[in-house]
Amino acid sequence: MSWKLKNLLLSLLPVLLALLFTTAILLAVGASPWEAYRNILEGAFESPEKIADVVAACVPLILCGVGMSITFTAGQWNVGVEGQIILGAVFATWVARSLPWPRVPVLTTMLLAGMLGGALWGVLAGLLKVYGKVHEIFGGLGLNYVAQGLAIWLIFNPWKPADGATMSGTDPFPDPAWMPRLGHLRVAPLAVVLALLAVVVAYFLLRGARWGLELKAMGKNFRSAFLLGVPSTPRLLTAFAACGGLAGLAGAIRCSARYGRMIPEISGGQGYLSLLVALLAAYRPQWVPLIALFFAAVGVGSPRLELNMHLDSSLGGVLEASVVLAVIIVAGWRALLARRRAVVDLVAAQEKEAA
Amino acid sequence: MSTVWERIGARGDVSARRARTYGLIFLGVGLLIFLLFARGATADQATTFVLTPSGESQALPVPDLSVPSLTVLYGFALVCVFVGGWQLARGFRRVNLALGGVAVLFVLAFLTWAARDRSMNLTGLLSSALLRSVPIALAGLSGVLCERCAVINIAIEGMMLTGAFIAALMGSVAANIWEWPSWAALLFGLASALAAGALLGLLLAVLAVRFKVDQIIAGTAINILAVGITSFLSARILAEFQYLNNPGIFPRFSIPLLSKIPIIGPVFFEQNGLVYALFVLLIVTHVMLFYTRWGLRTRAVGEHPRAADTLGINVFRTRYINVTLGGMVAGLGGAFLVLGSVGRFDELMTAGKGFIGLAAMIFGKWMPFGAFGAALIFGFADALQTKLAILEVPIASQFLLMAPYLVTMVVLAGVVGEAVPPAADGQPYEKQ
Repeated sequence: MSWKLKNLLLSLLPVLLALLFTTAILLAVGASPWEAYRNILEGAFESPEKIADVVAACVPLILCGVGMSITFTAGQWNVGVEGQIILGAVFATWVARSLPWPRVPVLTTMLLAGMLGGALWGVLAGLLKVYGKVHEIFGGLGLNYVAQGLAIWLIFNPWKPADGATMSGTDPFPDPAWMPRLGHLRVAPLAVVLALLAVVVAYFLLRGARWGLELKAMGKNFRSAFLLGVPSTPRLLTAFAACGGLAGLAGAIRCSARYGRMIPEISGGQGYLSLLVALLAAYRPQWVPLIALFFAAVGVGSPRLELNMHLDSSLGGVLEASVVLAVIIVAGWRALLARRRAVVDLVAAQEKEAA
Repeated sequence: MSTVWERIGARGDVSARRARTYGLIFLGVGLLIFLLFARGATADQATTFVLTPSGESQALPVPDLSVPSLTVLYGFALVCVFVGGWQLARGFRRVNLALGGVAVLFVLAFLTWAARDRSMNLTGLLSSALLRSVPIALAGLSGVLCERCAVINIAIEGMMLTGAFIAALMGSVAANIWEWPSWAALLFGLASALAAGALLGLLLAVLAVRFKVDQIIAGTAINILAVGITSFLSARILAEFQYLNNPGIFPRFSIPLLSKIPIIGPVFFEQNGLVYALFVLLIVTHVMLFYTRWGLRTRAVGEHPRAADTLGINVFRTRYINVTLGGMVAGLGGAFLVLGSVGRFDELMTAGKGFIGLAAMIFGKWMPFGAFGAALIFGFADALQTKLAILEVPIASQFLLMAPYLVTMVVLAGVVGEAVPPAADGQPYEKQ
């Protein structure tokens, strides 16, 4: 078997394993796996409207996935993305509610404000890490809860609609604050363009720019990067700011293009999903859109299971998580084999030398 | 290179700076009590604390404590200011104790203010705080077991959720299909939850120890898988067959004598068996970790696996055992949510308790009792928040829910000395 073919098969192996696992669960509860997969695929791709939904669902995943690739490159576990999305949405909502401007200036300000909000929240996690020595995982998680509380408070107090506050959110934004959509489709072309732009910019920044290379050096070995003169604190904070800015942009886009208002669940678990997206993309921005497409398709397609088969749509989550788990198991297993081979080769070489 | 030396050189006055920070915090708390609470009370108001639980109880009755709100608040504020001044001028030898005292004063001041002109059942509040802190403490204990041997277990949330689901399902199957007596069904549900936790722990151990996968990736994947599977299966099975989601609850029983102690008795010694199991586990883990060979080996593997290996300790086996045990404790935490408090499984019922447990572990400096103490604080904030809704306190409940996280982060951010994790935490071990 040629080397390329073997590699291709090995990279398809996790997907097969994940499908096997999900199939086993479906069989165990007495549902037809074939029907289930067909329903998910149809639910995601059967009509132009559905495809547009998938593309729209990709946008926040791509933005946050790219952002996380940046912090991952610097060796940071930025799990605060959920909160950064919320803060972006909060800032954007504030702009939409208080500035009665025409479309172009108000949308521009909203997106910039969203980026600012997310970046501030990201930098806060970074500051806690650098100056407070709070591990970024715990800082991020804590800030997520704080952001969630803040959003709910805003919706239930200063921003509550005239007829009483509910979990369905604020009043809809005035018309200029809605991001224009493509005809009757639920996708905003501007959002897609921004997401792809983020991929391209992050790709070149991480690949060729001094900033990206310094982040890489910090990710590989923080201490030696510091000793070799990488200004680690500013680099770390800018990485958090970049990731937070992208997540905040995603939050602004979600409330402007998708809901047209601020809702309590504006982040909707996108932060945690995009963590998986970034993992599967191996922290390379150029792979993020492809992986995001898979997650978005499963997410858009699986509600169909409830309509047609009375299966809970969380099966989509099972499928996504088992793909991730299978990928890391296969990767770990291959690494183990490689280490064993290296040891065998070493012993053989030593024996040869001795002989 | 000079920056490194500057930093090392600058370390000398860190403790002085920290002492000053403490003093300022104490003064600030005194000022806050004055500004937030004392100014909101009037001279004729009184606060009543009820010290006997409202339901059935064996505790010796204690008369209610009624105090003039304003006087008490001024008193608390003055004590805090005095403590702060003393800290700035002379310094306390055991400053963390002073910090704890000031924190307790702040909470008491808050309660005095919130319940002015009303009465508040303090025992009931503490009892509900303990119940809410049990799953957090178990999650923290699970974290301690894993991280002491240098495996980061971020999958506690998923293990708890799975444990809760399995406990509900298997307990119900035993009780309602096989028609076992209720104690046997409850124990069977508990044992199944422990087994499920152990299996997930083993999975994490295989990924982290054998395959040397990044532990946080492995944990996150396990979490999301657990969320997906339990939501899917509970919608498919538990929602359709209600009798499969009705395992019953462990009954409360009082411990003789101890439960008669006023206040402490009803809070700690009139609970159900799983709460006592937590107390036993805390003591056992503490003794095991710090006074047995197994504990010494575990800590050695966590601090310096290479040295441990050189001395003949099997690093891999130690990690496998500890992470599996940690999974079991997390499974117990999940079982408590179902069999010890609610009596049924709900989707996503752990609601972040696994993560809060990890925060409690750090807050408690990787010590079993430290994690328990931190868990009590989180549980208290949670209980307080529901209580205040009844008292109609003009504070949005969202802010009270946020408060524990804010406090954790402020505390983690170096106020209580630096929390130092085991030296090899999170690093896979490569045998040479």
